[in-house]
Formats: sequence, C-alpha cells, structure tokens
Amino acid sequence: MTFLRRFFLFTLLAVVVGTVHATPLVDLFNERLKSVVAVEFFIQDEIERHPVSVQGTVVDKEGTIILPGAAILPGVPPGQLKDFKVYRPGSIEPSNATYLGQDALTGWHFLRVEEKLRSQLVPVGSYDAIKTDPVLSEELWGIGLRNKDEDFMPYFLSARVALITKLPQKTAILATEVAGPGLPVFNTAGQLAGLTQTSFGQNFLLFSHSQNAAPILLVNVEESSVVWLLDEVLPNLNRIPKTVTGRPISWFGAYGMQPMDPEVAKLLKLENQPGVVLSDLLEGSPAERAGLKERDIVLALDGQPLPRLKPDRVVGGYLGQELLRHAPGDVVTLTISRDGARQDIKVTLGDEPKMVREADRHYFERVGFTVREFLATDGIANRIKPSEQQGVVVQFVKPGGPGASAGLRPDDWVREIDGEEMKTYEQATKKLTEIEAGKIRHEFVLLVSRGGETSVLRVKLN
Amino acid sequence: MAFAAATVHAGMSKGFNRLLDAVVRIDVREITFEEGAQRFTGGTGSGVIISSDGLILTNAHVASPRAVEISITLANLEKIGAKLIGWDHWTDLAVLRLDLDEVRRRKLNFTSAEFGDSSELSPGQTVYAVGTPYGLARTVTRGIISNNNRPFEDSRGVNGYETGSFNTWLQTDAAINPGNSGGPLVTEDGKVVGINSRAYIGAENLGFAIPSGIARRVSAALVLHGTVTRSYLGLTPGALQDLERFYSLAANTGLLVNGVDPDSPAARAGLRPGDVVLALNGQKLDGRFPEQLPPIQNMIADLPVGSRVRLQIKRGGQNLDLTAVTEKLESQVGDEWAFEKWGLSVRKVSRAFARENRLTDSSGVIVLGVQPGYPAAEAGLARGDIITKIGPTAVIELSTLKKLYEGYEANPAPQLVEAQRNRRISLYVIKP
Repeated sequence: MTFLRRFFLFTLLAVVVGTVHATPLVDLFNERLKSVVAVEFFIQDEIERHPVSVQGTVVDKEGTIILPGAAILPGVPPGQLKDFKVYRPGSIEPSNATYLGQDALTGWHFLRVEEKLRSQLVPVGSYDAIKTDPVLSEELWGIGLRNKDEDFMPYFLSARVALITKLPQKTAILATEVAGPGLPVFNTAGQLAGLTQTSFGQNFLLFSHSQNAAPILLVNVEESSVVWLLDEVLPNLNRIPKTVTGRPISWFGAYGMQPMDPEVAKLLKLENQPGVVLSDLLEGSPAERAGLKERDIVLALDGQPLPRLKPDRVVGGYLGQELLRHAPGDVVTLTISRDGARQDIKVTLGDEPKMVREADRHYFERVGFTVREFLATDGIANRIKPSEQQGVVVQFVKPGGPGASAGLRPDDWVREIDGEEMKTYEQATKKLTEIEAGKIRHEFVLLVSRGGETSVLRVKLN
Repeated sequence: MAFAAATVHAGMSKGFNRLLDAVVRIDVREITFEEGAQRFTGGTGSGVIISSDGLILTNAHVASPRAVEISITLANLEKIGAKLIGWDHWTDLAVLRLDLDEVRRRKLNFTSAEFGDSSELSPGQTVYAVGTPYGLARTVTRGIISNNNRPFEDSRGVNGYETGSFNTWLQTDAAINPGNSGGPLVTEDGKVVGINSRAYIGAENLGFAIPSGIARRVSAALVLHGTVTRSYLGLTPGALQDLERFYSLAANTGLLVNGVDPDSPAARAGLRPGDVVLALNGQKLDGRFPEQLPPIQNMIADLPVGSRVRLQIKRGGQNLDLTAVTEKLESQVGDEWAFEKWGLSVRKVSRAFARENRLTDSSGVIVLGVQPGYPAAEAGLARGDIITKIGPTAVIELSTLKKLYEGYEANPAPQLVEAQRNRRISLYVIKP
C-alpha cells in the first residue's frame, strides 16, 4: 500500500516535470509585478477631500505611469488633484508623483513618480510582446491588487478570451475578470497581450444590446475583463500629454454622429458601406465652416471607407477617434453622401473649445457656490448659439449653504445677478465678490435657467 | 323607536335629496395610443346633471375626446348613453349630454342640480361629496371646506394634459376616492359648489374640487363652443413674496416674470425673465402670493386672441411700456394616432411642446410607443424619438403621416424614416 502510493506520487511528479517547458507562471507573476503600482490621490473640491485609490502601469524608465481614463471624472480640473502617492504591490512605502495630464485619444492619465522608486520599476513595454492577437479560448492572466489595508497585496487572475471585437479599439472581452483596471495582461508564456480598460457594467451583452444609450458604466471597479490589445496600447504608451489639460486636442464640431443602419444603407443604395449621419453641428465649428450640413452621411475619411463595426454605433465612435488622432490645423477629407450624391469635403480641424476641467471657476464661500465660465458644451446643453452665449454656470453648491437654500443647483445657468445681465465670467465674479464683501446686504437675486425654464432665486446671506 | 323616527325626519334637506337624484355614475370606454397600438381602456367616474335638457358636468379626466362610449347610470339605476359636448383640461371639466331620444323613448326621469355660489364658501363650512368611489354608486361623504383658495398647477395632471393654471381649487376633507371624480361637492341644502376632481393618494382627507363659479363659466362655454378658447402670452409668473424690497416696489404691486417662453408673444414683445409687470392694459396687477397667480393668468387667458396687450414693466430701475399680441393657447399634448401595421403610435409635436423642448419648429410627430416585433420596433425606433421625415417627405402634420401610411398599406415597401433624439438625427427603415 505504502509502496503503491509512493510509486503513484513519483509518476505524477514525472508528468509535471515533463510538461514544464517555460518559466513557471509564479515566477512570471513575480517579475511582472515590477510594472504595476497602486496609486492614491485625492480630489480637493470646495469643501471636501475625496480619496481615490486606483492602479497604474509603468510605461518607461523615467517613472511614467498610466492610469485608466475612468480614474478621474472628466470635469475635475487638474488643480483639484492633490497628493499623488505611488505604492509597489505588497508595500505601503509611498513615493510622490506628479500629474502630467490626460491623453484625449486613449483617455489615459499620465503620472511621473519620483526618482527613488524608478529603479525598482520595469516598463511594461520591455517584456516580449505577443506576435499575433490572442485567439478565442486562449488563456490570459494578470495581476490584481488588494486595498491599502492589505498592503496592496498582489494576487493572480486569469481568464479565457471570449470575444475579440473593435469598439472601435481592438478589444478582447474575457469570460471573467483578468486583472485590475489599467493593468497589463499576459499570455501563459509571459508575453504582453494588452492593457485592461475599465470594465463594462454588468457584461458585454448588455453593452451591445443597449441601442440608444451610452455604454453602461462599470460595476466591478477593482477588476476588469476588458483588454485593449497591443495595437491600441504599444503605439500610445508614449502619448505623454504636452500640457496638463491634454492639449493640443483637435476639434471637429458635429455633436450628432449617428451610425447608419445596414437597412438604411441598402435603401439608399450605399450597400455594404457603413456611414455616420451628421447632426447638431455647432455654429462656427470646423465642421460647419467646411460646409458640412445636418443629414450628410460620412462614408469615408481621407479616402478610407469607414469600417464595418458592431454594434453599429461603434462606427460613430470610430470616426470620432480617428479625428482625434489628428492635430489641430490638420486637413482631413470626408467623403459624404448628400441628397444621394457623393462628394468630398475638406475640413480643417480646429482646437477643442475650452473644456469643463479647464474653465475658470471661483468658489464664493459666503454664498456657498462655485461659478465657472459658460462653455461651448454648455451652449450645446442649453441649445444656445455661440454668438448668444453669456453668463456663468454653477459648478458646485455647498449643501445647506445660502445658494442651496435658495434652490440653486449644479449646472444652473446664471444669467443675471441682482437684475444685472452677466455678459462675462469676469463680470459675474466681480459682482459676486462685491456681494460677499458687502456688509449691509443680506440678500441678492439670481436669474437662473435650468432645462429651458428660468426662475428668479433669492439668496439670503447669513 | 320614536327617537329613531325623529332622526329620520331631521335628515337631509329637500334640496339635498333632489341633488342626490341628479348625481350619476359615468362609465367610459376610451381609446389610447400607447405601446404602438390602439387599445381600449375603461374607467368609472361621477357626474352631476345640471339642466333639464340632460347636460352633465364631470371632469375632463373622466370623459375626454378619447372616449368612444359613454354610459350613464342615473340615480334610479337606469343606464343610458351620452355624448361628449366639450372638454377643458385646464380646469379639468367636461360636459356630456344624455341621449335625449333614448330618454323619451324609455320615458326615463331625471332631476337636475342647482349651483351654489362658491365665492361665499368659508373654511370650516360643512360640505358633502357625492359620487361613485371605487364604483360604489351614490356614496355620500361629509367634510368641511379646508381651504377655499388653493393654487394647484400640474403640467400633466389630466391624462397627460396641463391643468390648474387658471383657477384655484376648493380643498375639502370630505373623503374623495378614485371614482368620485366629476361628482359634485355640495352644501347642506344640496347646492353644487364644486366638482370633485382630485385627492392626494395616500394622504388623509386632502381632496380638491373645482369651484362652481369656474365650473358654471366653463360649462357654459363648452355648451356653446365645445371648447374654451384662451389667449397665450408666454410668461410664467412667480410669486413676488418677499422680493418687493429687492425690486423697490410697494407691497402688493406687480407680477414677477419668472420665465418667458422662447418665440412667444411675450418674448417677441421684449419681455424678459426678472421683469415685473406693473399693469396690464392699464389694470394694476398684484401677484404677491401664489394664490393670486391663477386669477391673473386667467385674466390674460380671457383677452381676445390676437389682441394687443399693453404691458407696463419695471426692469431694474427702468420703467418700460411693451406691447404684445396674444396668440391662441395650445396644449403641449398634440393629436395622437396609431399606425397599426407599423406597430407605431405617435403624437403630433405641438407648438407648446416644440417651445418647451427648444425644437426648431413644430413639425414632426413624437413616438409614443412601438409594439415589439412590428416594423417600427424592428427598425429601432423608440419612445421619445421625433419623426421628421419619411422618404423625401417632411412630416409636418399628423395628416402627412396618415397619407403616407395609406400609401404604404396599399403598396407596402421599405420606408426611410428620419428621426431625432436630442436633436441628433438618425435614419431608420420600416420594412413590411
């Protein structure tokens, strides 16, 4: 009996040893840990600090680290991002880092960590890259990191490829979570296969079924099953923003880019040709100035027909992405179908109008709210032509403050203060500063517009 | 025994008993255009006969132009048909007429009620609600007038139509339940002082009735014209309450303009939000409290359509005189229809809807619903899309679409549909 068992053990070991022909996964895992970090920072708003804990990937020897786009909400100005700390897996020794900005094309945020940690890090691009995209059912693996209370302890995740698709980025959807969001993913030989993105909420089926909605937002914030493959990753690792706001960013200016359904293409005799229907062209935008019109159907960009992508609406995203690859001032040629006739239109791309995160803003503590500049995007939301834009937008309202008690809400468009029309941001901040400084006034009046309805709000100062 | 008999004799007045004979139950079968199809639904309400020639007053949310069959149950339990004479969702009132031929043929009897003066009501006064709560015909509940001047506006209150902008309401604690709608609120002598129309569901004894003063006026107009024509200026008033000092106004002076509808007569006249209207056609306005706003709105509504209105305005330190030309008031809710082979139900974009949603104009129809598996749903159209074009034809009116649909029915072929959502244009194909 004893003999038999020993014999059995022996043969089992022989089999295992016989099949190992490469570095054990555990060794690969330990080596690859040098390319991933935990990142902590906080967002300092008017009255509170919001701690954020995310994960990042090391991209070069200069200590550059990328974080996934969803790590920071779009409207947050860089000035509110404070105290970036970088931790190696399994360590609670912090290293300081600087925020470099967000890349518009990939959405990635870039950081640079201080000198002392750099020697312990390995750029993710230094590992062998897979030669061809992974295939269905192939097993990939990655790293997950626990929270700070568990010393950012790393753990192993693996999953098989369920689907490879373009959304419009070439993306592998795995059957289950394969790594923390924003972290690299490898094949079993340890070759780099891609970088996880923030996961789809629920699952990919729901994402592809929702027709008119934006992608569903994530549920599992700590792990991801969505991987951008190397074509989307390697060429972009060096897109370190030139400025903290991510500029220069090119601008097209059509805010409706709806995909053309294959049935529509067939009826319009544009068979097998994906297209994008343009609408909501902002007055004065590059698209409008180039002579594009509502209802034009874009069929090709710079002579390249738009690709067939599923779900259909990804085609709109594709066109947007391709335009973002260009710099402001670049000229692109769009082939469009208008009233059944094809024509080429040259568009000189412009500079993205000021974004919310760049807008000048000021918090008025005594009145309990923040106003910021009125932007082109506010004009779209309020259906106001650029030539008619004025006033300021409420960015933040302090709970329980005088503004909140008066019924003021974030995104309210302030058009008049104390009966005086506010033409510019400077005029509004000057007026509010005067009101705050005034020792006699106990109340003032705002005329605000919200969802097309205006009302007069009376703010009582304490 | 004698004691009990005495109680009976001391019961309700002759007038009250007569009133009971004038209250009817109303059963309505109506058409709806939800979910991409025509469907029929039923409802029960109450009403009160107000004339010897068989006019019945009820709520607009009980009997509307969507009604295809109206059946009245008289106090003597006889059932008889009725027709809609007119309706007015703004005051939630409708007038029906009993089928008089049938009344004569079947030799039926009915009594009509008398109106009381709602302006003489005072809080605390005893009133009775009579009607058909939950189908329980001839139910009498008792309460008091809780408030005789309650403002109460609801932009979707009457089956999706606006209500309450032009009148205040009587508030009562007499129990009002679903089915009481359209029944009278009466005094002890049986005079109709209000038409019960709504209650806070889930709250205790918070019921609301349209005052008889309004009901008399509106029902007279409905009998004459089938509808109440009102004027529209396009200003939304707000109560000035406590803002007088800011506007340097004497108390009880002026009407604060909270909002001005884009492209409305008020906007064209140059009126702006934040303005204070001191006088309208020379008549001084006082919109200090919310209760005072519906009568002012009603005063504007009563102006002849297309008439010039002089507005004396205070804007900051400045006094201005503006002139606006009134338009006919329209509802947000346009005509509805269902295109059954497409599984598509739609509602016309009204001028008011276009204004509120800042559409470029009022052409197009809004998708109310699509039926799963039918061509419109298969094409990808969804509730809320605004259909603007079919093939090369702009869908300006509902009739345009009906005509196109007839063509499709005769010769089914794929149709290219252009629709907008948030001003973003998409194309769809409806296929047989």
